[in-house]
Parts: sequence; structure tokens; C-alpha cells
Amino acid sequence: MQSADPPVAVRGLSRRYGGRWVLRDVSLSVAPGEVMLLVGHNGAGKTTLLRVLAGLVRPTRGEVVRCAPPGVVAHHSMLYDALTARENLAFFARLHGVADRGRVPHLLDRLGLAAVADQRIATFSRGMLQRLAIARALLDDPALLLLDEPLNGLDEAATDIVLNVLEERRVRGGAVVVASHQFAELVALATRIGYLVAGRLAALEPLATRNAGQILERYRALARAG
Amino acid sequence: MPGSRTVAIAWAVAAKDLAIEWRTKTALLASLVFAVLVLAILFFARDATAVPTLDVAPGALWVTFSFAAMLGLNRAFLLERENHALDGIRLTPASPTALFLGKMLGNLVFVGVVELVSLPLFVLFYDVAIWQGLPVLLLVMALATVGFVAVGTLLSAMVVRTRFSEVMLPVLLLPFLLPPVVSAVQLTWRILAARPLAELSGWLSMLAAFDVIFVVLSVLLFEAILIE
Repeated sequence: MQSADPPVAVRGLSRRYGGRWVLRDVSLSVAPGEVMLLVGHNGAGKTTLLRVLAGLVRPTRGEVVRCAPPGVVAHHSMLYDALTARENLAFFARLHGVADRGRVPHLLDRLGLAAVADQRIATFSRGMLQRLAIARALLDDPALLLLDEPLNGLDEAATDIVLNVLEERRVRGGAVVVASHQFAELVALATRIGYLVAGRLAALEPLATRNAGQILERYRALARAG
Repeated sequence: MPGSRTVAIAWAVAAKDLAIEWRTKTALLASLVFAVLVLAILFFARDATAVPTLDVAPGALWVTFSFAAMLGLNRAFLLERENHALDGIRLTPASPTALFLGKMLGNLVFVGVVELVSLPLFVLFYDVAIWQGLPVLLLVMALATVGFVAVGTLLSAMVVRTRFSEVMLPVLLLPFLLPPVVSAVQLTWRILAARPLAELSGWLSMLAAFDVIFVVLSVLLFEAILIE
């Protein structure tokens, strides 16, 4: 996680689904220790951009340079309902080649799931699943975390746990790209903000304000400018 | 030869699939019920005084095995569609070869269990003497199963993102099933008729050749199928 190379960089990235361009000419680079907040309305291209950055979707045009597989938290948990929380993490840890046997219990504990570690996740609430998905994404201590609406379904206590985990990673030099349209809690962590408007990265700039209202105003102004 | 990491990942994938199947028993129960039904229907559909057992039994056995297996193969990648778990797997550095071998191993165990449970029922229904030829029959079952499970696993991965995957898999798989299943039917007939072993060697070699071709091609094509 200490590498000075950007964990991910993209240039001229476009993605089309059918006849519709979902992303158009997006270029960005994420530096180690950076938390980049991507904001945009539904359908602005946030999820597609994260999927392309993750390597789950190939760009129609453009170039993606990735140092290593990122940790990803998406709308779906990417976990198996019939397995317990511990079994799910142990399975993905094996696929990641994680040798440290203490990693799974550590993450379960860190994300506040130790008490339910041996329950099948089919019984989990949305918030518990989301925390487990975050634990899965952190298994191999990735240099880059890609998070799509990571605070969805979390109560106040769980939100604090997740924000602390993200802050810890930033301090240790990990890069985070987080997409959200409910970003009030995330602005405290962010170092840069990208405004996605109809598939275009309308602006990518250092965070000038931590006021969610002002960020929303800025987004609206960029959307109006087209 | 696959490296130790490939083997470890393949084993992890197969163990995970089997653990899920053991807990849910969805596909296993469906396949076993289907196998019993097919064996019973084919048994009662024939006139035992007009059609000798030996003429129908091998076909009945392999129709039962292959269609019951198809139910399980369909389930193989539907598991990965749940909560988009396949994306989680694709985000790991696990090699496509290891993933394919793991899915295939899980399917082999599943289909093997269905076959081993169906075989005594087949003996019961058709009253055929298999004990003398049992080792060779088990070898034929193993060889034929490896062939169609390899292609079935590949095609299951291919159709899982389509809207009608349950329908698409049989449509695509049936043409590939023909060579191993025809060979297996021919071999089973000869085993049940207690024909000399020398008569089996040609068909056995053909079955082994299908296995090599199907497994190698499936491993090679799996990576392309994994990428969206």
C-alpha cells in the first residue's frame, strides 16, 4: 500500500451501452493517500466509472492503468447467502492468496461483525451486509478502494465504523474513490471531488468546501452549464 | 501440471459450491427426483414381452444421467449470479483456469452423487446384472461424465448472464453431449451384454479423447467468457 505510483489512472475513457454513451472522455488519476469523492445524479455514470476502474467492465474507448486489483464495494454484496460471514471472508481470502489466518477475524471485529460471524448472511440486515462487503474489499489490503454508495443502509454507529476504517486507510497511504449522491458524511474525508454530469467529468478539483449544500450548488451550476 | 495455488483455489471453489449445495439441497433434490421419474417412466413405457431389456436399458440410463446432470449444471453459475458474487471472484487474482477447474470439480462431485444414487435404482427397475462389469461401468460413467461436465461448466458460465439461462443451457449443451453419451450408451450395452473387454477398447479410447478435447478447450475458452 506504500507505493508512490498512482493505483489507477485513466485517459480518454468512454463507455457505451447499446446506442447510449454512459461515460464520455473521462480522464483522472488517483494518488496514494487520496480520497476522491465522485458526485452525480442517478444515471450520471458513477457506477459505470467505478466498474471500469475496477476492471469489471472494459471501456469502449480510452486507457486504464491499474497497479493491482482494487478492493470494491458495489450495490451488490458479491457474497453468498448460504454461507456464514466468516466462511464468505475465508473463501475470498483464499482466492486473494491471503496467508495471514488472523486477517478474517480481525476484519470481522473491525467492522463490528464478530458477534454474528457464524451466522448465515441470508439473515443479515442491509447494513450488516454492507459492512461485510467492506470487509471483503479490505481482505488483501488493496492499494485502491472503490466504493459505490458505501454508507447505504448503515445506521449512525455503523457509519462511524466505516468512516473510521476509510480514514485509517487514507492515513496509511491507501487511495479511495467513493461515489455517492448522499455525500454529507463523506466530505469530511475527501481530498478531491469529481462532478459527473451525464457521463462527463465536468470538474475534478480539490475540495474547496466541506459544506454539502455548497457542493450541491456547485454540481447544479455545472449541470446547467452542460 | 497446475501449480499448488491453482489446486488450492480450485479446491476452495469446489468446496464452497458443495457446501452451498449441501445446505440448500436445491439442485440435488431436483436432480434425484428427476432421475427417479425418468427411470420409472421409461421402464413403464416399454412392453417387456416385446422389447428386450438390453435394448432399452443403456439408453434409459444415459438419458437419466445426462438430463439429471443438466439440472445441476444449470445451477453451477446461477450461484455466482446471486448478489453478483461472480464479480467478487473476478476481482481476485485467482486464475481463470483455477476457477474453471474448481467449478468443474464441484459439478463432477454433484453429478457423480446423482449417478451413484441413480445406478442402484436403474438395477432395481431393469433387473440387469451389472456386478461383473461394475468396475468397467464405473470407468465409463467417470469418463463420460468428465466430458459433458467440462462443456456443461463452460456453457453454464456463458449463459448465466442471459435472461433465459435455464433454457439456453440445454439447447447449447445437447449437441456437445451427443459424442460422449453415444459412446457411453454403446459401452454400457456391451458391458450389460457381458461382451469381451477387447470390444470396449475402441469406444473407451474415443471417450477418453472427447474428455481431453472438451477439458482443454473449456479451460482455454473460460477466460474469454469471464470478461464482460
